[in-house]
Amino acid sequence: MKVTPDIIRCEFIGTEAKVAKSTNPSCVGIRGKVIDETKNTFTILHNGERKMVIKDTSVFHFKFSDGTVVEIDGKLLLGRPEDRLKKRVRRLW
Amino acid sequence: MDTSIKRIAKQRIHTLFRLAIETCREDPQLAQRYVDVARRVAMAARVRLPTEYRRLVCRRCKSFILPGVSCRVRIKQRREPHVVITCLKCGGYMRIPLRRKSQGE
Repeated sequence: MKVTPDIIRCEFIGTEAKVAKSTNPSCVGIRGKVIDETKNTFTILHNGERKMVIKDTSVFHFKFSDGTVVEIDGKLLLGRPEDRLKKRVRRLW
Repeated sequence: MDTSIKRIAKQRIHTLFRLAIETCREDPQLAQRYVDVARRVAMAARVRLPTEYRRLVCRRCKSFILPGVSCRVRIKQRREPHVVITCLKCGGYMRIPLRRKSQGE
């Protein structure tokens, strides 16, 4: 899978996620499958428990089905899953 | 630009429906949520849902239906051969004509 800025339009439900950084210390280290997404949060299944993580204040590591790991700032992922399809990003890296 | 959005949307619809089919036995509510997201993605990108997935969504109540679990599929010979898919949640049905040979339903 090619890593392009288009990646923010991809589907994150179903991928493996890990919270790398967060302003909320109890959220750091949560890892597991993403089972739901709302405008401002991701729900991650962590050891059989559903954890809700705020996108705005966290940095995530996503592992896609083909094994690529991508680090994405949650700020870029704000927006409902269907609205994110049309989101544009300015150059960031 | 527009074509890339449509391509991504199609990919997302595929993954969401695959997940919905996988999870619907353990958590039907979550499967319903995935299908809702998939439909909204399709509408936002103005992509038509593929035929095989359109059969999995009730036309009347838009809920996720799976043959043998939440819908009934019957072939009827009356008037004209057709398939009837009855949603067991709302009782609505969709009819699919079997007229054309090439379609091979």
